[in-house]
Amino acid sequence: MIYTIRIGHLLRETVASPYRNLVTRPTGAAIRNRIQEALAESDCLTALLDFSDIELLDFSCADEVVAKLLLADEERGGRFVVLRGLREDQHEAIEHVLNHHGLAVAAVAPGDEHAAPRLLGWATPDARAAFGCVCALGAVTAGELAAALGWVLARGEEALEALAVRRLVMADADRYRPLPIA
Amino acid sequence: MTRVIEVPATFDDRSFEQFAGGFGSWPPEEKILIDARGAQWASPYGLLAMLTAGQALAEARRERPLFTVPSSDDVKRYWARAGFFKYAAELFELHGRVPRATASGPSDVLLDVTPVRATEDVHEVVEKISQGASRILHGELGLEMKATLRFSMALSEACQNIVEHAGTSGWVAVQAYTFRRRLGRRVVVIAVSDAGIGFRRSLESAHAKRFGERWGDGAALEAALIQGVSRFRDPGRGQGLAFIKRFLDQWKGKISIRSGTARLAIVPPWDEDVPLSEHLPFFPGAQVQIIIPAQDADTR
Repeated sequence: MIYTIRIGHLLRETVASPYRNLVTRPTGAAIRNRIQEALAESDCLTALLDFSDIELLDFSCADEVVAKLLLADEERGGRFVVLRGLREDQHEAIEHVLNHHGLAVAAVAPGDEHAAPRLLGWATPDARAAFGCVCALGAVTAGELAAALGWVLARGEEALEALAVRRLVMADADRYRPLPIA
Repeated sequence: MTRVIEVPATFDDRSFEQFAGGFGSWPPEEKILIDARGAQWASPYGLLAMLTAGQALAEARRERPLFTVPSSDDVKRYWARAGFFKYAAELFELHGRVPRATASGPSDVLLDVTPVRATEDVHEVVEKISQGASRILHGELGLEMKATLRFSMALSEACQNIVEHAGTSGWVAVQAYTFRRRLGRRVVVIAVSDAGIGFRRSLESAHAKRFGERWGDGAALEAALIQGVSRFRDPGRGQGLAFIKRFLDQWKGKISIRSGTARLAIVPPWDEDVPLSEHLPFFPGAQVQIIIPAQDADTR
């Protein structure tokens, strides 16, 4: 099950104004709390955070909303988090804060959940290549990935396991599937 | 006895030291008169410096200072239009006729002098600036459209520093003008100033030990701007200034921060400022200036 959370709605409810700019740490922390409350009541497999109503996203808010949510969720485990509807400058802000924390998240283009997701934040070149390969090929074993990328098996296993631990692909027995987003 | 502090005829970040030096030890014991009669021009940095001085004197519970307004009608009108007198009247006993602020058509003032007291004010500032920033940054300065959003992000982060670290309120103003002397081009200038505790006191408990004998206003500025440290233990903190630096590097911009008795600048090739100045006259709080110049035709 996919649970879509529209960040623009949460922002309007939280600051009780028509603002479309997601700025300041207190605002970001309040939005993150609302997301966590919503997710606590849901048994969804994927949380799809939709930023398409957001105009500006500053670093403080990117840190509070996305990085801290991933850090908290990492401890709790189990759920996939995917971002949707980000513009280029918002990608940049999120990429910056995630790199700072050594985190990564998948982002999908607005209105096109069938397009390949983009990996934002910190990941090794092998993990990035494996992520792209899984998105392009669909469910793969480590052997199939290694063959597709011309790697030895251990390298494929390591890259896929790194993605699975960070919930950027879904481990399913010996196969690794793209994130369930559609 | 009254101490008279003359406002420099051209009041910007360079002539600021003359203004700051006029106060002597801080807070001054005498009644203060700020004499702006001879002022011919003030940058946003200069306007905020005067308000910050007034605010700091009020917070130090000193006698309400006097302020004589500029003699020039043009200067008075411009300062009024930038919103200066609206707040100066709250902090100073004004002497001289002050014109009413009137707006007529597009202006070089992107953001009037605006108080920053709380998170909501930062939201207001970002909302207000987004309306005029694109016209100036893209239309006049030749920056790419996405620069408008980065500019708003930089402004947001700079204003948040007041709310998060100053321990009191502050001010922000944004203006476009031509930098004839130093650059010969149009620039947009963001000025942010507060009368708070300053960088040294804000960072002292978390970082002074590491610097040992070197700890002071200059070291605190280096720690914040160059090393990206924050007083908070939260590892996500301290990224705002790092982003502003990166943004400015891309557009050959400049940032300078003055706090206490020191001033640190990231100096672009077009400027001849010194990176670090120490042992300056004390001035309360922190004063930030960000300059973004019009781009060369070949970089557009």
